[in-house]
Amino acid sequence: MKPTRRDVLWTGGGFVFAFPFARFQARAEDSIEIVMRGDADGSRVWFDPLGIRIAPGQTLTWVNRDKGNAHTSTAYCPEIDGRPRRIPAAAEPWDSGYLLPDARFSVTFTEPGVYDYYCVPHEHAGMVGRIVVGDAGEADWESVASDGGLEPLPEVALTNFPSVADILRDGLVRPPVR
Amino acid sequence: MKQLSLALALLAATALSAERAETVDKAPPGGKYQAVSALVPLPDFIPGLGQLYVDPATLPAGPFLAYDRDGALVSTIFMIPVEDLNPDKKFDDLAAPGGDVDHVDIYFNAGHPGVEMPHAHVVMWHVPADGEARVAK
Repeated sequence: MKPTRRDVLWTGGGFVFAFPFARFQARAEDSIEIVMRGDADGSRVWFDPLGIRIAPGQTLTWVNRDKGNAHTSTAYCPEIDGRPRRIPAAAEPWDSGYLLPDARFSVTFTEPGVYDYYCVPHEHAGMVGRIVVGDAGEADWESVASDGGLEPLPEVALTNFPSVADILRDGLVRPPVR
Repeated sequence: MKQLSLALALLAATALSAERAETVDKAPPGGKYQAVSALVPLPDFIPGLGQLYVDPATLPAGPFLAYDRDGALVSTIFMIPVEDLNPDKKFDDLAAPGGDVDHVDIYFNAGHPGVEMPHAHVVMWHVPADGEARVAK
């Protein structure tokens, strides 16, 4: 997996695949959007979808549709702010930096496995997401006995990840409707 | 003589108060206040709040001064981290330079650059409730 250059656009656009991955197979060259959203008063923030399954070689594009806030898409790994590794051992980490409204950031994933990521200013509000690339049955980083003294994830983040099983079954896990 | 001293003191206090109010009534406010969008990655205008200014030394609590698109002050906002609402933490003597308060909103915010943890927004509106529309979008 190699992170693409940061692509910052100030107008909307792009393709939104709202269909579950199991029923709709996107072409490898199509980018799939993950939208960063928030309530008008900033009380709730989330990624949509929360969980997604893609094929190796596909590209995900995070786009900020929250008019009043900035968000990031940041992989959990020691190389970025000393966090536990929650991406495949052979995968390259990514960090979008702060995306202002309508900004976008793309990553192409080539390494099969489970990838957990978060939004830097909103991790403690539970804004996390999970990507399954290929047929990964479990995350290889789950075999690591401990976080090795790295800053652990807050409880609210841990409870917000959709299960790998649900992602593999449905292809797409959306946030709950409120 | 005593009455003259009192009158002079009141006049001085009024002049000082007027000078303080004039400093923040219009954007950009004077003193140590800076545009929040120049300090952290946030939009220049935040829907629901407006254009925000803060003295960085007062973070996270503020006060944040919020202005409409014409540069008129609409509210003063304090941002209090939820984890700091405990017996061991106090926020004393926070400045409140904005003048008369018409009504107050208090609500949870998940966080944003500058205050990157869940916190409460305490919004002291200096305009009537229907004036909130001036910063709605």
